[in-house]
Amino acid sequence: MKNSTVWHLLRRNISKAQLAGYAVANLVGLCIVISAIQIYRDVSSVWDSEDSFISRDYLIVSRQVSGIGSLFSGGSQSSFSQADIDDIESQPWVRRTGKFTASNFGVGASVDIGGRGMNTAMFLESIPDEFFDVKPREWNYVPGESKAVPIIISKEYLSLYNFGFAASRGLPQISESMIGMIPLKLSISGNGQQVWLPAHIVGFSSRLNTIAVPESFMEWANGRFSDRPQPDPSRIIIETSVPGDPAIEEYLREHNLEVAGDKADNGRAAYFLALVTGIVVAVGAVISLLAFFILLLSIYLLLQKNREKLQRLMTLGYRPADVARYYYIIVGCINGAVLAGAVTAMLVAKHFWSGPLESIGVESDSPWIAIITGTVIMGLITAGNILAIARNVKKNFPRP
Amino acid sequence: MINEITLCKTLPHVFRGMEYTAPVNRSEVWLREVRFRRPDYYMVEAESGTGKSSLCSFIYGVRGDYDGIVSFDGRDVRTFSIDEWCRLRTHALAYLPQEMHLFPELTVRENILIKNRLTDCRSEQWIRQSLERLEIERKLNSPAALLSVGQQQRVAIIRALCQPFDFILIDEPVSHLDARNNATVAELIDSEARANGASVIATSVGNKINLKFQTTVLL
Repeated sequence: MKNSTVWHLLRRNISKAQLAGYAVANLVGLCIVISAIQIYRDVSSVWDSEDSFISRDYLIVSRQVSGIGSLFSGGSQSSFSQADIDDIESQPWVRRTGKFTASNFGVGASVDIGGRGMNTAMFLESIPDEFFDVKPREWNYVPGESKAVPIIISKEYLSLYNFGFAASRGLPQISESMIGMIPLKLSISGNGQQVWLPAHIVGFSSRLNTIAVPESFMEWANGRFSDRPQPDPSRIIIETSVPGDPAIEEYLREHNLEVAGDKADNGRAAYFLALVTGIVVAVGAVISLLAFFILLLSIYLLLQKNREKLQRLMTLGYRPADVARYYYIIVGCINGAVLAGAVTAMLVAKHFWSGPLESIGVESDSPWIAIITGTVIMGLITAGNILAIARNVKKNFPRP
Repeated sequence: MINEITLCKTLPHVFRGMEYTAPVNRSEVWLREVRFRRPDYYMVEAESGTGKSSLCSFIYGVRGDYDGIVSFDGRDVRTFSIDEWCRLRTHALAYLPQEMHLFPELTVRENILIKNRLTDCRSEQWIRQSLERLEIERKLNSPAALLSVGQQQRVAIIRALCQPFDFILIDEPVSHLDARNNATVAELIDSEARANGASVIATSVGNKINLKFQTTVLL
C-alpha cells in the first residue's frame, strides 16, 4: 500500500474487542435472518409440489347436510348455484374454483378379481384437470377413439378395500401398480340407451375424495345418456391463495359449508409457519439493526479518538477520501467476513435440517435467495457505515 | 498558483469588542488592509497573545473564527472547496505550525514521508541531505516523540519544504534553535523559497529567523 504509514498511524486506536463484539452481534442477527428465510423457503417448497401435506391448499367444500328437509328436497338445497360460486370466487383468499360435475346417468361397474366377478352400482364425477394432484399419462378420453375410460379414485378407497373389505372376505390385497392392470367394465345407461365400456384405474388421488373421469368423457356421456338438465354441482373445489387464513374458516361457518377431510388444519399449519417465520426474521432484523448501530458507534468512537490525527493529515493536504478509505477497508473487511460467516452457518444449518425434511418428502430449495438477501442486507449496512464515515471525516476537514 | 494574499478588516473573534484597545488598535494587521505579495519576505512581529498563530491558521485556512476577509488573488478563501484546499496545501501553500503537528508515534523518516508521498516532490537523497544539514540525520528512525523540541522543529521544517509552494508560512520557526541552527534553517528556507520564486511569511515574538525581510509588520 502506497500510504502504509497512514494506515500504520490510523490503526492504533482500533479497539479489537469492540469490532469483535459488533461482528458477533451482526453475525448472529444475519444468521437468524437468512436461516429463517432459507427454512421458510425449504418448508414452503411443498407449496409448489402437488401432493403435499401443507398443500397449496385446496378445499373441497359442500353444504352441511342437516335436518329433515334435505331428505325431501332431492338435493337441490345442497347444491351450489352460479350465484353461490360467484360469491365464493369474489373472496380475497380464493385463487380459483372448480366444479364437481356429477354423472347424470346410470353407472354400474363390474370387475373380475381372482376369478370372482363383482357388480356394483356407482357414480362418476369430473373436475377440471388443473385441480388434480396426480396427472397420469393416460388421463385423456376421446369418444370413439380411446380404448378405455381412465379413472382416478381416492387413495382412501383402495385402503378401504385392502384393509377393510379384502381382509374380511379373504380376497387378495391389491397394490397401486397392480390395480391398473385389472380390467373394469362400465355400464352406462340412460336416455333409453345402454353401453358397456372398458375402463381402468390410472391413478390415486389423496386430494379428491371421489371417483373421477376426464371432463371430456363426462361431457360426452352426459350429452348422450342424460335426458334431464344438468343439476348444479353439490361440491366445489377451491384453491386458496392464503392457506390457513382465518377469514376462510369464518366464511365457511357463515355459509354452513363443510370442508372434506382436515385440509383446513393443514392450512392452519402453513399459516402458522408463515407467522413464525415472520417473527423470527423480524427478531433477526432487529439484532442486525442493533449490530449496525454498534459498528457505527465504535467507528464514531474510533474517528473521535483519531480526530486530531485525521485533522493533521488533512492539514498536510490529505483529502477526506484518502483518510476515510482506511475506515472503509476496515468496515468492508468486517462486513465481508460477517456475511461469509453467516452464509456458511446457514448452509451448515441447512445441511442438518434438510435430512429430516427429506425424510418426510420435502425437497430443499436452493439457498440463493437467502444468500442474495443476506448480501443485500450487508450491502445496505456497509453503505450506511461508509456514508456515516464519509460525513464524519468531511465534517472534520479543517477549513474556514 | 497564488500571487497575493490579502487581509481586509480581519479580526479574530476573540478580539470582538476590543477594537479600540490594545493590541488591536496598535496592530498593523487586524482591522486593516494588508497585502502579502510574491516573492517578498515578510516578518510579522508580535507579542504573545496578539493572535500570531491565529493569523497563520486563517491564511492556511484551518480556522474560520474571524470577521473580515482573507483572500488569495482577490478570491475569498471561505469560498474554496475541500478539493481546492487540498490542492493549495500540496502545491501552493507551505506551513510550519508553531506546535509542529508531528505524529509522535511515527519516526522522523515516516513523518517526512507522510507529506512527501502526497506531493512526490523530494527525493530520498534530498531528505537525507537536509537532515544532515540540520544535524539530525542520526534521528532518522527515532520516533518523533523522543526528539527534543528543537529537533522536532527541524524535522517539521524539512517536512514543510516537501512540496512546491508560492507562500511559506513559518510560525516561530526558530524559537527553540541556537544561532548556528537558526542560520542553517534560514539558508535552507531561503534557497527553497528562491527556487520556487516564493514568498516567506514568518512570525516571531523575539527569536527571529535569520532572513532578509523586505517588510516587517507589527501584529
